[in-house]
Amino acid sequence: MKTDDLIAALSADVTPPPGIGARLARALPAASLVSLVALLGFWHMRPDLVQALASPALLKTVMPLILAGIALWLAQGIARPEARNRARWAVALVVIGGALAMLVQGLIVGGFGGLLMALDTPNLITCFLSIPVLSSLPLAATFWALKAGAPANTRLAGMAAGLLAGGIGAAVYSLHCPEDSVLFFLPAYGMNILIMVALGAALGPRQLRW
Amino acid sequence: MTTSAEPSWEELMRAANCGDQRAYARLLQAITPVVRGIVRARGGALGPEGCEDVVQDVLLTIHLKRQTWRQDAPFRPWLYAVTRHKVVDAFRARGRRIDLPVDDFTDVLAAPAGPDPFEAQDMNRVISELDPRAAQIVRAIGIDGDSAADTGARLGMTEGAVRVALHRALKSLAQLRERMIE
Repeated sequence: MKTDDLIAALSADVTPPPGIGARLARALPAASLVSLVALLGFWHMRPDLVQALASPALLKTVMPLILAGIALWLAQGIARPEARNRARWAVALVVIGGALAMLVQGLIVGGFGGLLMALDTPNLITCFLSIPVLSSLPLAATFWALKAGAPANTRLAGMAAGLLAGGIGAAVYSLHCPEDSVLFFLPAYGMNILIMVALGAALGPRQLRW
Repeated sequence: MTTSAEPSWEELMRAANCGDQRAYARLLQAITPVVRGIVRARGGALGPEGCEDVVQDVLLTIHLKRQTWRQDAPFRPWLYAVTRHKVVDAFRARGRRIDLPVDDFTDVLAAPAGPDPFEAQDMNRVISELDPRAAQIVRAIGIDGDSAADTGARLGMTEGAVRVALHRALKSLAQLRERMIE
């Protein structure tokens, strides 16, 4: 086929290709809602949720949501092939740095012994089983949306998807999680989100090829 | 410098996104020598036909990913990024890695204009892997230059159905080409 013939065929196709934003708007709320409903059905909400959300434990829900919001913004930038996204990376790194600073401050106050004590609970295992499960559908939704993109670096795009999904999964799980210590939720949620980022990094190059 | 008589690529692409087929064809024709120039400068080892395969790959990708260009952004950096991605892909498919700094593209001269001399083979091969009706539609509109309405009348389909089939066929072509690379 000559290139001019291909151009003729391409220009006759006026169906717009799917946009990432539209796909995200379609799939991500639905996937998050399913995760939330699953939590209500199979886990159960913590009984003192209202009090918890009015206390500093609110951070447990809000911080993952902030991370997810930044990951959403970052992923949309990464999906454009020519974008450099310096501002988006800077904001993401500042927020991650803030979370790390909170952890360091908690360690200074509570000490290493405090960390071990906070993590020495069966809830840690529940947490590591739950967040990846609750993140999996948001991850699938994000990957589906990003398939409409053209990321110059598919691994980074996968990582942003993992961060987004992990943030949502952690925020949903926080509605069940009875552990409110900073020395519990920062390392435990953080590790789980990292697991999702690693999963996204592993899946990205193959799933997001274009 | 662009004059009012000659719309910029951004203007053409914006018009194309609003459904202006003529503007879109014009844009694709305008960018093809530039893409060809880059591909030949970077991929001379592929030979002229091999280069034209990559050029067509780039055009198909531009078509299917045109939504990732932001209407208020300059068009060239986007075009270079897509082209770079596909050229690297083409080399990877042939078992070679190349390093392709995107900044170099500004120095690359567009290939001389004129009728493109080479019949690219890869596209013919993947078109024949489409289901027969889809292949017929792509050939009728591309090679024979028929309109969607004419093609529909001949195949007993509505114009809309032909357009949907064409869109699906182009998407399948891109997927089939990906599979060729793997």
